[in-house]
Amino acid sequence: MKKEIPILIGFFATIGWYLEFFFAGTFFENWKMFFTTGFRSVAIVGLLVGVVNVLRVNYSRIKYNNDRWYSIYQMSIIFLMVILASLRGVSPGTPFDAMYTFGFIPLDATVFSLLAFYVASASYRSFKIKSIESAFLLVAAILIMLSKMPLGEAMWSKIPAIGEWIMDGPTSAGKRAILFGAYLGGLTMMIRIAFGLEKSHLSD
Amino acid sequence: MFDQEFTISKETQRVYNIIEEMNEGDAVFIDWAFDPTLQAELLPMAEQTIKQCLDKKLRIFIYYPYVTGISLGENLLVNIKKEDKYKNIENGVEFIHLGYLPIDVDMMLFSSYSDFKSTFGKEGKIFRGIKTMDDIKYIMSISGSDHTESYIVLQKRFGFKLGVGVTAVIGPDFVPYLQTGQLDGMLFGLRGAAEYEKLRVRHGADKIYNQKADKGLASLSLSQIVMFLFIGIGNFIYFYERKHKQKT
Repeated sequence: MKKEIPILIGFFATIGWYLEFFFAGTFFENWKMFFTTGFRSVAIVGLLVGVVNVLRVNYSRIKYNNDRWYSIYQMSIIFLMVILASLRGVSPGTPFDAMYTFGFIPLDATVFSLLAFYVASASYRSFKIKSIESAFLLVAAILIMLSKMPLGEAMWSKIPAIGEWIMDGPTSAGKRAILFGAYLGGLTMMIRIAFGLEKSHLSD
Repeated sequence: MFDQEFTISKETQRVYNIIEEMNEGDAVFIDWAFDPTLQAELLPMAEQTIKQCLDKKLRIFIYYPYVTGISLGENLLVNIKKEDKYKNIENGVEFIHLGYLPIDVDMMLFSSYSDFKSTFGKEGKIFRGIKTMDDIKYIMSISGSDHTESYIVLQKRFGFKLGVGVTAVIGPDFVPYLQTGQLDGMLFGLRGAAEYEKLRVRHGADKIYNQKADKGLASLSLSQIVMFLFIGIGNFIYFYERKHKQKT
């Protein structure tokens, strides 16, 4: 029964959700709402599990690991933000908001900005004309980049139109093919889960 | 060099036109699916969308599928209120922050049967006449991931107009949906945001407060020139080494 019940739940959820899309009505609507409420409950419990896990991992690092200062720092920030939010709320102008604005935003944006250096490095290493295909890729990439910056348009007024053609034509065609394949794969997976052929989500 | 003149793309024009064509009091749902990592590209889009809706006296519902984006949105509205033109706007009257729900796109939102207000647990004058998601006229999803595709799946069924503001990285993924008419408009990366700002300035918005993306385009141009340079150097070294190996 340990396996059968989850498979049965999977069957009814999948088929119900699928049919609901085609036959909208009160029965399927209630069905969908039942499972949506379930999703939400699971997500809330998931958040709790996540918090407990972070605390456990960091606690054991502080207790046993020599490299404990990162964990102490992380735990301090977590508790500080929770305490500040509990005492004064999270709206603009509060200490929590100050930490978000002057701490989280610059750090978050900085980490993401590092990607620019990876892209620059990748452009140096990867965009080499080793074959006809890579030459096509390079030319298309340069045209798209030029079409998305004012400098390209200043160089030649037709650049945006060329960029748009690449996006609307070849790129879109390739994207559609990928999407079509992915959604067919998704549909297959749905059928496999519904009929209990796929059991990886049950840790089987 | 960076005094930028550029044309407005048809996708950006469509986003602008949808809001312009709406009637006073219509409900707009802004899906704020980003956090500070993507603010350089997406925050100007959100700002211009909100300002255009305020100018048109539309009701704005801002939903945050990512918890780390909430303060960003709240601070933006605080900053918008500092402008003389918008100093009298109030949370719960002209706009409302709907907060975060702990799943990505909650399908319950799109149920014709579930009560819109109680789904978010919020109150306010702004909810007058809004019973379910069917009463929302336009959804603007601002995101840097495939999150927006969830709305596209539901768009035909519920009939809302759907616009998106996306990063340049994820933008090509949405072009097929523009072609099929599932998307009614798209702001494509920083360039899209700058085009939107330009459109609004052209129609009377104050240039001082509405050129954040436009300023950002200069650094974008510079970084792309650096990339061209690196590509050139990379290829030069590659061909030089190949020639050298052939000789030896």
